[in-house]
Amino acid sequence: MSQVAPSAPQVVPVKGLGPGFGAVTVVLTIVNIAMTLAVLYLPLDFLLPSESNAASDSALAVDGLFKFMTVFGVAITIYVTGYVAYFAWVFRRRAGEPINTVGVPIHDSTKLEIWWTVLPTLLLVVLMVYTIVVWKQLQFPNTAASLTTEVVAHQFYFEFRYPGLQGSIYSPKGEMHLPAGRPVKILVTAGEGDVIHQFWVPEFRQKIAAVPGMVTELNITPIRTGRYDIACSEYCGKNHSIMQAKLVVDSPADFDKWLAAARVAAAKAGPTIDLATGDAGAGKTAFTQKCAACHNAAGGFDAKIVGPGLLHIIDDPAHPKLVDGSAPTPEDIENILVKGYTGPIGAMPNRQANGLTDGDIANLVAYLVSLK
Amino acid sequence: MDVAAHPVEQHEAHDHIHPAPTGFIQKYVFSIDHKVIAIQYFVTGLLFMLIAGSFAELMRIQLWNPKGTFMDYHTFNQMFTMHGTVMVWLVLIPLVTGSLGNLVMPLQIGARDVAFPWLNMLSFWLIPVSGLILFSAFLLPDGAPAAGWTEYPPISIQQGTGGIFYCLAIIVVGISSTLTGLNFLVTIFKMRAPGMTWTRMPLFTWATFATALINLFATVALSAALLALLFAQAFNVPFFDPARGGSPILYQHMFWFYSHPAVYIFILPAFGVISEVLPTFARKTIFGYKMIAFSSLAIAILGFAVWAHHMFPSGIAPWLQIPFMILTYLIGIPTGIKIFSWMATLWGGRIQFTTPMMYALAFLGTFSFGGITGVYLACVPVDFHEHGSYFVVAHFHYVVGGGAVAAFFAGFYYWFPKATGRMLSEKMGHLSFWLFMIGLTGTFMPMHWLGLEGMPRRYASYEVFAKAFPDAVFWNRFESLSSSLMVLSVLLVAINIIVSLRSGRRAGNNPWGARTLEWMISSPAPYYNFKKIPIVLDKPYDFTQPLPYRNLDDEHQDPYPVPSEAALPRGATAAVGA
Amino acid sequence: MAVSAKARSSAFLERASVEARFHDVDPVYAETRDIRTLGFVLFLLADCILFSSFIFAYLYLRTSAPVWPPVVDGKQIEHLDVAFGAMNSIVLFGSGVTMHFALESWKNLKKAAFNFWIVLTIALGLGFLSGQAHEYLSAPMTWTGSSFGASFFTLTGLHGFHVFAGVVFLTVLAIQANRGVYTGSKYFGLVAGTLYWHFVDVIWVLLFFLFYLW
Repeated sequence: MSQVAPSAPQVVPVKGLGPGFGAVTVVLTIVNIAMTLAVLYLPLDFLLPSESNAASDSALAVDGLFKFMTVFGVAITIYVTGYVAYFAWVFRRRAGEPINTVGVPIHDSTKLEIWWTVLPTLLLVVLMVYTIVVWKQLQFPNTAASLTTEVVAHQFYFEFRYPGLQGSIYSPKGEMHLPAGRPVKILVTAGEGDVIHQFWVPEFRQKIAAVPGMVTELNITPIRTGRYDIACSEYCGKNHSIMQAKLVVDSPADFDKWLAAARVAAAKAGPTIDLATGDAGAGKTAFTQKCAACHNAAGGFDAKIVGPGLLHIIDDPAHPKLVDGSAPTPEDIENILVKGYTGPIGAMPNRQANGLTDGDIANLVAYLVSLK
Repeated sequence: MDVAAHPVEQHEAHDHIHPAPTGFIQKYVFSIDHKVIAIQYFVTGLLFMLIAGSFAELMRIQLWNPKGTFMDYHTFNQMFTMHGTVMVWLVLIPLVTGSLGNLVMPLQIGARDVAFPWLNMLSFWLIPVSGLILFSAFLLPDGAPAAGWTEYPPISIQQGTGGIFYCLAIIVVGISSTLTGLNFLVTIFKMRAPGMTWTRMPLFTWATFATALINLFATVALSAALLALLFAQAFNVPFFDPARGGSPILYQHMFWFYSHPAVYIFILPAFGVISEVLPTFARKTIFGYKMIAFSSLAIAILGFAVWAHHMFPSGIAPWLQIPFMILTYLIGIPTGIKIFSWMATLWGGRIQFTTPMMYALAFLGTFSFGGITGVYLACVPVDFHEHGSYFVVAHFHYVVGGGAVAAFFAGFYYWFPKATGRMLSEKMGHLSFWLFMIGLTGTFMPMHWLGLEGMPRRYASYEVFAKAFPDAVFWNRFESLSSSLMVLSVLLVAINIIVSLRSGRRAGNNPWGARTLEWMISSPAPYYNFKKIPIVLDKPYDFTQPLPYRNLDDEHQDPYPVPSEAALPRGATAAVGA
Repeated sequence: MAVSAKARSSAFLERASVEARFHDVDPVYAETRDIRTLGFVLFLLADCILFSSFIFAYLYLRTSAPVWPPVVDGKQIEHLDVAFGAMNSIVLFGSGVTMHFALESWKNLKKAAFNFWIVLTIALGLGFLSGQAHEYLSAPMTWTGSSFGASFFTLTGLHGFHVFAGVVFLTVLAIQANRGVYTGSKYFGLVAGTLYWHFVDVIWVLLFFLFYLW
């Protein structure tokens, strides 16, 4: 379909850089300066990570880098959206304008293109240098760690280990403790045969993956006492959303007191059974021999024989709690196997009555944990 | 050459017009016509978009409360997995390459079809097959795949047969994508109209070319990763099992080697759309043609070198982090060049606020913003905080939703008249646009600060986080309400299509007064596209020059195309000024 | 109209000699052949990426293993038999040479020679596959037992699948050639088959080095 009369294009010229270009630039610059100052000096806690909740030395370094990037990010956003809106308005087609009007035919401008390639490159180079400085500080801190602690992630709880502490502390009942002001090395892994998890404390601005078969590490100096949440931030299965733990940062004196008390309590509890040596296959055999008469491994809590069914005993939050209101851990299962149970739902003999050795208990725990 | 003794017809191969398809099946079902295939991709893409969007809506209902009881955790996990998987492979890639690429690129280069039309048809039909495999996983006892669209082992191996269906489905869709890449590359190399040198090619074709490079070379790497995962899930092959010498991190390397270039598959055609829409509706030439063309290639190639920025806190060796960070920063340069060139394209124009132009203008803002948050994520120390949090979700929805999808809609409104011969309703288009943009901002802007405050992603319940940050409840509800606006927007697009197909204004050859070759033939185009293959003398974009073509089918083509009355608001004048 | 085999054969030779004499190809065919050649080369490049991805996986696992071959059930897996691997490699590389001769024969319109060489190629290909079968049955490791088995069987299995597909491909080509589908100047299918067969050879060079020599 062609036009009735072919028409030559009418170019609408532009004076200078456009009407009001200067004024718009001034306004955008003022807005930019205002927002930059706000980012740098206002306590925008609800928007940006800020000193008010930074709890480690790395958090301070990361927040500084973050603010640096935000200054430029804000500037770019303001100028890009501002100029686009300005151009769209001032260079709009006017109502009633003949349809053969066209814009100014500029194809390129080497000078302009050089500027807008070189300036961003320079900015990125500056950012690279600043980033590498902060990165080096985080990855290769220059102070030796005063404490090395271990975190083992499982589906769906964290296990904390300390030097000199027999056994482990299990979340959510157990809490991780760290001393403020002291550099700590945290070695992280996932349980054998488990999946990938991630150890994240937002107030530390640091996270690291917990990978089975591999040990990763975080170097942190906490700077502020308080209670923080550890969240799993790598999807790890059904209960990923409720895999959290508590981290307590103590003053150095309180931390030493806590660790000493924990060591004593663990030692008094006697030689613990090393649950890590449990084999689920052997546990299945032991279960058939010693437990199947009263318990069903294929059915949930309601599938009673004498005692409750044990399917999903470890990972179903709807399963009645074994002990004092918290979700069951392998430690809790071990406890019941060792001590037996007397309560509203019945009575179960202890390990002596059932003839369970340490190895049996470790294997049974491994087997029951696998009933997902 | 002795012609007499050698009785061969003396014309170019691509002058040959094959006989018209007959019958309903040949014309609309098993069609080898790239334009019909484009429409098939569009319809399936839109359908899958509505399904995947509904999954997201269900998730947003669950997240209304910190301890949502709308669905159990396993169902929620399937929802975010299927939302991501379907959006990436059954919506985005089919829509931008399969639909827009197929419809527009052959027309823009003056070809009668793509190089291998039968392969093109196969590429399309693999999409519904893949969808069937993927969705049938819902019938399995353990349900659909539930380990995220990334399906990392060991969790994806632990989770049951859903993962096997995922691998099979995505390998199938990968074949579709690879074949399309091969097809488009050969088409662009070998079937351009006489005179169309590389630097006279339209920018959407340049973008399709760069995308096809990625489609061809990257997708096969995904097939390898998924084949390895399939063997691990189905046959216990220990690529990823540390107990037998394997490594879970290996999967992440193999997966992201494809999946990072994949995001450039989404965005490069989107960039191409913007480069077409802005000149047409600003009535002036694109600024910086060469830099825009070459930056597409630069992004495609550089995009292969940055994959490990998805893995900074995943346990990779620290020395690896810095090179990947530097390369990721550097991709910002060609991207920035494009944004500035587009802004300069607007400067001095006569801008018409049609629906495609609205999307293109908004794109400049939303995509830039999303790109900037990408720089944050590229910065290793900051990523140690932001990885695995809602900040990441916010970033990629801005670049994908506010970038690729917005530009896709610009392209859809722009080329719908060419595909169907009807104009879409501008009123409904504008309303869709505002619903989409307001919905996008309301849904994804708060995710930035929720992520920074510490809300992890893929959480079916955020009770613990809400105890520490009570404002999380308000913002999650704000997001849930906003997301419904985007659903309304897409439903309105569907209504617009149905209404306009019936009673939209008839579009002529060139309702927008554009200058690329697809606008030189009728709307819709005949099955053979061009009766005579045109000859190309220059780049298409300069509105002050006559059209740079010879031998057009329409011998009375106005050398200075102007918008037709069909494209102007009702009542506006189509008068020409002296 | 029934045409005798002899008549068909001499018609083929006459047409082929005319085309060969004039050294030019129908331009319509030339363009199609160029398009199909580019398409086929791109397909082979994509196939390279498939192998490269698994080779990357093998290199990653091997370089991060404490000892290689790895230890399974307390015993270290034996190294593969280099001599047997070398012998089987010679069989495969030989088939590459014979395929080259097959194509050359066709180009020089020597149909009988072509048939000889392509049948020999197919036979050598089948020989290689039986060699691999023997290797699989006598291998010191299993697919599921270790990262060594996982890498070896997956990569050589993929390669073997490609060889098998190639054997089928070449058989079809030989049949088509004898039915007169290809002429002295139009034989894209044979070029594609030769390219594919050489591709399979090149991949094997890499795999032989990675698993047997290293």
